[in-house]
Amino acid sequence: MIPLAQAPPITFWGVQPGSGEMWVKIVVALVVCLLIMFGLTFLPNAGRKAVVWGFTFAGGLFYVLLWIVPTPINRGPSDLPRPGEEFGFWLQDALPHIVNSANILTAFLLGLGIYSLLRVHLGRIAKRQPDREFSAILLVCMVVMAGFGYADWIMRRFGEGREKLELMQNWTPVQYAFDLMFDGLLQQMDAAMFSMIAFFILSAAYRAFRIRSVESTVLMASALILMLSLLGALVALWNGGVDAMAVALNLPNASVDLKEAHFLNNFKLNEVANWVRSFLQVPALRALEFGVGLGALAMGLRLWLGLEKGGISA
Amino acid sequence: MTPQKSIWEKLQEIDRRILYLILAIAVTVPLWIPAKLPVIPDSTSMDLYGQLMSVPEDKTVFVQSDWTVSTRGESQGHLEALLRILMARRIKFVIYAAADPQAPQVFRNVILGLNQEREARGLPPYRQWEDYIDLGAFLNAEGTLNSIGQDVRKLFGPRRSADTEGRERPVLESPVLSRVQKIGDAGLYVVVTASATIDVAVQRISGKTKLAAMTTGVVFPSVLPFYQSGQVVGAAGGLKGVYDMEFLMANGVNVVSPTGKVEAQFPAKAELTAPPLTEIEPKTVTFARGQRYFLSFHAAIVLLIIAVVVGNIGMYKMRKNRRGA
Amino acid sequence: MNPETYLLIKLTFGVLATIGLYSVLYKETKLYRFFEHVFLGLAAGFSIVFLWRETLFPLWWEKMVGQIDEQSGALVQPAYWAYIVFLPIGLMAYTVFSKKNGWMSRVPIGVILGLWAGQQVQVWWQTYGGQIAGTMQPVIPTGLAGPAGTFQWTKPGNTGLTPEQIADFNTKIWPSQAVNNLIFVITVLAALSYFLFSFELKGKAMIGFNKLGRWLLMIGFGAIFGSTVMARFALVIDRMSFVFVEWVQSIQAVFNRGA
Repeated sequence: MIPLAQAPPITFWGVQPGSGEMWVKIVVALVVCLLIMFGLTFLPNAGRKAVVWGFTFAGGLFYVLLWIVPTPINRGPSDLPRPGEEFGFWLQDALPHIVNSANILTAFLLGLGIYSLLRVHLGRIAKRQPDREFSAILLVCMVVMAGFGYADWIMRRFGEGREKLELMQNWTPVQYAFDLMFDGLLQQMDAAMFSMIAFFILSAAYRAFRIRSVESTVLMASALILMLSLLGALVALWNGGVDAMAVALNLPNASVDLKEAHFLNNFKLNEVANWVRSFLQVPALRALEFGVGLGALAMGLRLWLGLEKGGISA
Repeated sequence: MTPQKSIWEKLQEIDRRILYLILAIAVTVPLWIPAKLPVIPDSTSMDLYGQLMSVPEDKTVFVQSDWTVSTRGESQGHLEALLRILMARRIKFVIYAAADPQAPQVFRNVILGLNQEREARGLPPYRQWEDYIDLGAFLNAEGTLNSIGQDVRKLFGPRRSADTEGRERPVLESPVLSRVQKIGDAGLYVVVTASATIDVAVQRISGKTKLAAMTTGVVFPSVLPFYQSGQVVGAAGGLKGVYDMEFLMANGVNVVSPTGKVEAQFPAKAELTAPPLTEIEPKTVTFARGQRYFLSFHAAIVLLIIAVVVGNIGMYKMRKNRRGA
Repeated sequence: MNPETYLLIKLTFGVLATIGLYSVLYKETKLYRFFEHVFLGLAAGFSIVFLWRETLFPLWWEKMVGQIDEQSGALVQPAYWAYIVFLPIGLMAYTVFSKKNGWMSRVPIGVILGLWAGQQVQVWWQTYGGQIAGTMQPVIPTGLAGPAGTFQWTKPGNTGLTPEQIADFNTKIWPSQAVNNLIFVITVLAALSYFLFSFELKGKAMIGFNKLGRWLLMIGFGAIFGSTVMARFALVIDRMSFVFVEWVQSIQAVFNRGA
């Protein structure tokens, strides 16, 4: 068995959990950050742009360095850096923290969405606007789901006999309520919402999928070949017809063993579909994604270097 | 007096709700009709099956499951087929979600269902810690896969799970992960997804391990270029992919004749010769969700094609009539 | 509670919600709007739970205050106190509603965009490097003659060949393969030419090639359409199965137990 990595050592940046030192450092760092934030409110416009771009550039710089600077490959838990490799090791060690930082900031931004939702619907109720009863339903559902969700989490994580809750027979009303709302309602409604698109596709295909130009004809032919090839029963029928034709035409090999090569095999539905897919659809999709990829690359570089007009630092 | 409308004009003005009703009936009725329809599996599915059947028994398969009930119609069939193969071969696996917080609960339900199925058939259940490790959710697919590519032990290190005696221990001590030093030690890395996390996996770990995909139909076209270039070694796409996998489990890829010669029953790579799963575990249910849905799927596609054809004929006839008038 | 009874209750809730949402296919009614808002409320509520349970608690709070093993009291992870800086940076996002200090909300967004942008070069190469190599396909045939010395359009069948011949023929590019490869390469180039916006395309050949590219892109879109149709139909089939098979079976299970 490979030995486990030991817990990281106590350092200036990583202190003993629950210690006074930890709380002092947290409070001091928070106060310093809040003071800096307060100071930022007095910044002139030009300075604001520099601050935003500075944060953007710093965020991107880490991954650029991680890409450029050689980092250890398949590093073992006990591997130590040789002279000159320290920075690469440091970058690799910092990666989980950088990944965490993106997750944490994304979570704060998602919280902003919840905040906006609350503002809109509470405002609608307060202003006694039409359909406010639906806003009330939304808020009630949100609060009830959040309440039972937290209660369930606290019981499962910190509660007495939490391991028993893994089995359904030990559930309390909290687990039943949360499961009913999550698995019984939310998940099924999610599936229902997604599946409704099929109805709209059928309706749109009937009313709007028209052969009016070369482009639409090519698109329809490509889609038709692909869709037909998905129907196993139809493929079997079609291919059976091709085999029967080969026998009727007395093609070489065809009468001996239909699995042997004969020219008409090229017209079997799965072969046609496979050829179209391999030599037309795949390269077309590749070119399409190349185009998109180049766009994303250009956009990424422009954002990182602050060159994008109307971008984040504008 | 208004002129009499032709049948084509009437068809063009048909209420959309009638179309919806026809679709609902067309896909529901076949659900009650048991039918084992023929199929020729895609080369992508055959390669995936071959790869799964050739994973060495002492290797751990990594399963990244990024789907929820919203795409259950396709993704659950994929995950069930994948886990049935791994369970039948007694291959250990580690499973987690890298994108959606709702995903772990969904794959847990699938594992629970498969274990109940095994129990009913008198087969030993797959046990957490000994046979598989459930790591729950990692969020931010980019970061997670970056970390997996760089140092998988560092990412998994803090996660803990109850061992067979109920003691909470680091998952890296489990029989499933104890031999995994780096991502290259994985027998196969399979992404079961309904989103673009397969792209992220290609970006972060292709070249470091063998990568395979089981994706919804929406995502599948974007996987095909990766398959052609070898960045993905096998892929099952959409409902057809589910049925392909079930069919392959029952029939195998390329049958080896008694003389030892590979008879190309299904034209796949000869090196991926893989027996039907029924030879390994005769009681395994091989035709499952894909089979149940495949006839309905035929009905729906045929209905769509008829709709397009009737719509176009109607447009053509109406134009002709107008020109004539 | 009996598991079968609970399952029936749960499925019934799901069936009612599905029917409620599907009612919009007939007409947008109050029933639909009710279920729509229930759905949004539950999704928002779950997001609140999830944001803390799966992200902020394990990735921020536990990192900041550290972890001690409950059973042994041993250190699992030190307290990285500097994680507190994410609180003010994250809270900057909420200044978006302020006229004077709204610019600060761009700081956390800038960090996230910067982290995304910094990965793009590496991501691009990882994604497309292999595909560029995969597009460089041989277009000149190296195998033309079969075992009898006659011209072969495709690779000869293995029947009657020695293992050496089979191995030799397998390594050669036969005319049919070369033509297919050429079609592949032309398709990629023609479709790519459609994305040339930097200069004006002149000459019949270039314009024609560009037009061919547009048609070939349509083939790609056709594949996307066909695949998407498969996906959406699979979902509606699954919903119907949920309502008419799983729910009905659950009712039967409960009634059979009662009987």
